[in-house]
Amino acid sequence: MTTARRQLRFGAFFSVPGCHPTGWRHPDAICETDLDFRHLADMARMAERGKLDCMFFQDSVAIPGSTAVYGGQPFRVKNGRQAHIEPMSAIAALAAITSRIGLVSTCTTSYNEPYNVARRFLTIDHISGGRAGWNLVTSQAEDEAVNFGRDQHFEHGVRYDRADEFHDVVVGLWDSWENDAFLRDKASGIWFDFDKMHILRHKGKHFTVRGPLNVARSPQGRPVVAQAGSSDIGMELAARTADLVFTAQTTIKEGQTFCNDMRSRMAKYGRGPEEIRIFPGIMPIVGRTESEAQEKYEELRSLVDDNVGIAGVARLAGGVDIFNLDPDGPLPELKPSNAARARQEMIIAMGKRGMTIRQIGRVLAMSQAHRVLYGTPTSLADNMQEWLEAGACDGFNLLFPHYPKPLEEWVTMVIPELQRRGIFRTEYEGKTFRENLGVPFPPNIHTANRTSVQVKGIQAEAGASDD
Amino acid sequence: MTEPPRQLKLGGFFSVPGNHLAGWRHPDAVPAYDMDFNLYAHITQVAEAAKFDTIFFQDTVGVAGSRALARGERTRAKLSRTVKLEPTATLAALAMVTSRIGLVATATTTYNEPYNIARRFASIDHISGGRAGWNLVTSQIEDEAENFGFDEHLAHADRYERAAEFYEVVTGLWDSWEEGGLPRDKQSGIYMDRDKVHFLDHVGKHFKVKGPLNITRSPQGWPVVAQAGSSEAGRELAARTADVVFTAQTKIDEAKAFYADIKARAARYGRMPDDIKIMPGLTPVLGSTMEEARENYDHLQSLMPDDVALQSLSHISGGLDLSTFPLDGPLPELPPSNAAKARQALVVRTAREGNMTLRQIARHTAAGTGHRVLVGTPQFMADEMEAWLKEEAADGFNVVCNHYPRPFEDFCRLVVPELQQRGIFRTEYEGTTLRQHLGLRVPENRHTLARQQKIREAS
Repeated sequence: MTTARRQLRFGAFFSVPGCHPTGWRHPDAICETDLDFRHLADMARMAERGKLDCMFFQDSVAIPGSTAVYGGQPFRVKNGRQAHIEPMSAIAALAAITSRIGLVSTCTTSYNEPYNVARRFLTIDHISGGRAGWNLVTSQAEDEAVNFGRDQHFEHGVRYDRADEFHDVVVGLWDSWENDAFLRDKASGIWFDFDKMHILRHKGKHFTVRGPLNVARSPQGRPVVAQAGSSDIGMELAARTADLVFTAQTTIKEGQTFCNDMRSRMAKYGRGPEEIRIFPGIMPIVGRTESEAQEKYEELRSLVDDNVGIAGVARLAGGVDIFNLDPDGPLPELKPSNAARARQEMIIAMGKRGMTIRQIGRVLAMSQAHRVLYGTPTSLADNMQEWLEAGACDGFNLLFPHYPKPLEEWVTMVIPELQRRGIFRTEYEGKTFRENLGVPFPPNIHTANRTSVQVKGIQAEAGASDD
Repeated sequence: MTEPPRQLKLGGFFSVPGNHLAGWRHPDAVPAYDMDFNLYAHITQVAEAAKFDTIFFQDTVGVAGSRALARGERTRAKLSRTVKLEPTATLAALAMVTSRIGLVATATTTYNEPYNIARRFASIDHISGGRAGWNLVTSQIEDEAENFGFDEHLAHADRYERAAEFYEVVTGLWDSWEEGGLPRDKQSGIYMDRDKVHFLDHVGKHFKVKGPLNITRSPQGWPVVAQAGSSEAGRELAARTADVVFTAQTKIDEAKAFYADIKARAARYGRMPDDIKIMPGLTPVLGSTMEEARENYDHLQSLMPDDVALQSLSHISGGLDLSTFPLDGPLPELPPSNAAKARQALVVRTAREGNMTLRQIARHTAAGTGHRVLVGTPQFMADEMEAWLKEEAADGFNVVCNHYPRPFEDFCRLVVPELQQRGIFRTEYEGTTLRQHLGLRVPENRHTLARQQKIREAS
């Protein structure tokens, strides 16, 4: 018997109407994917037909750049990312019309309460039969802060400190009930087993939450937790808590370094290397021939808007006024950004490689700085297989430049090639998202050690006490 | 030609796994109704087949009685309404398995942020093609506060003040986008028309919200807004802002007074009587004869232990531990409740007027949690509903069942045709949106109105 080959996995990133900020201008693009839910439903069915691991929705609690539109950046109106359906509602709805694919939504820890977030994801997990995932993020944009009574968003360290505690409260609430806590026994009149209820009684720096949660435990133990932070503090949080990591490496070497770094951090939290899946992003462009792929790539490149790109650089500049500099000059020394820190390091590296502000901007304005991968199904498969076998990834997050055609092409052209090579499933392995990702069903934190459990600051006891 | 008779509005108020505290023990009950989405989908489809205007989920952001649970009160392990699906996520999913029926859920203004609530209900409205409704409430149960870092609730008045401002922010955000805000012009490359997208710039006592909302105006303009407060502050807010009022009324005279009061208050805000629909709760216990219906009710009551019945009074007891009082004595004087004021008054009045013992009022409350329990034949039930409609005690009813799915299926199968035969309930949906079902106008966008006003002034 031969050992099974390592398998690729995919997340389909749904940043409607396109991950290419001005890719919506492509003749094939359907822009109404942002608000007409029938399109999202069709794409979910398509993604499930392709046996993709999950659909993943990004989010921000504001129109990105809304203040900038009026503050001297009128070109911001060219960006397709303006209005969209709130992603947790979207995945709840998609749960009702799909049966196997994972459903991941971003939800910020900065402007929510853990009790509300815990119960919504757990509910979606029940609706979907164990297919929900929470992409835990901290909010980075001023545009978001001003919708929640703050003039500025939280400082990077505070944001992560809050996120850290937020995560622990959510997990503690998710485990409020053991999987077999509900007896619903008509004869005795006993609804639940009192000893299988766990009251969190969390008292921390940012939150005080008693519990229990008013939702039963998840069919997959807990919803999958995804994260995208690649800064040092973000990686540490992911190493401790994430099942799935979305990241943005562009070379095999960087991918290997990131994967090794992440997995070496996990050991100290008692986690094995297979308990996490790492998906770098790629923007795929598929052609039947290399020259067709090249043409499609050039066409999408021609849609890039320089100003949208420069605004992207400005957002990461930590307050340096990029607009007043020569766009064809070098990237200046940047102040530490309070926003996306790992992203900032990425553009600093581009600057060091001699790229101008305009050139860096164009990379951001095409693929949000993710790797653009164009070619035939064969060459794309070669490339991904190389990454997989080099241990530079566990799979990829697919950033389609627009919708729905590139998704369709992926499913009908690339997936069969990968299946032929035996590096991608031909059928879902299981019913739940965890089963398909191959990450473990987590034990209930309150019963992992029956007498007293410590999960970084969280203490909980079985049942009640006499306090 | 005569005018068609006034039409009833019907809501399916799904209090799973059953509104009667022991309903789940009934042989017909399917107790797993609390967590199984397929079962939620089933009763919603039953309601849609019966042409109900809407379904409705109430909500609390905590397990009712968690303080008691934390104290170790094991009796509470007999209470069935412990866990359930979070209602707003559930609405989004139900939108996909239905096509006409309204989808209304409670979301509290006490422990949420208006930006999040505005976009969530607008999103559900988009997903459902204009069928969403938000039941705006203030949190009443002390058990909820401790899940959000508070030891106690805001006082009643502060809660309503926050709710009123919350409403202003949410509806302001719903108007962020005018018609045509997204030209998506591939030629010029202009996706968004910035003249048609508006900041809210709200700065108030409880909230500071810049806007704009990151979702366009929904198919109904605004999702339908429902409210359930029956106290003075609650009535005033409802009269000013609600499209639908859910209420607990057990006697026709009181219901008529409530109805007249809300409509009179609404008139003071320049609203027409039909702009606001009043829908008391109603719990049906059906039988093919009156006697059989009463037997069915007695059977249900026999399933309820006294200690469970007593729990139904805990949230209106004003903190008094009722288990220390004799069950066959009178209901003791209750300290004022910071929580459900109107509900406490109703229970006390019912007990005093009926000269009920503590056991009797507890069992009575547990049976309907304050809503009117109608025990009888389909004809009797239709008579009662028709009388309330004609006498202006109600515009419709929110039907809440003792367990699921059978009593609800029976109501749809036996009572709805009776109402249709009398010409007071639709046999087909008139439109596709909840506002159309309820006969409510689509609110104008304030920015479009202002723009038109400016044009008129200039000409």
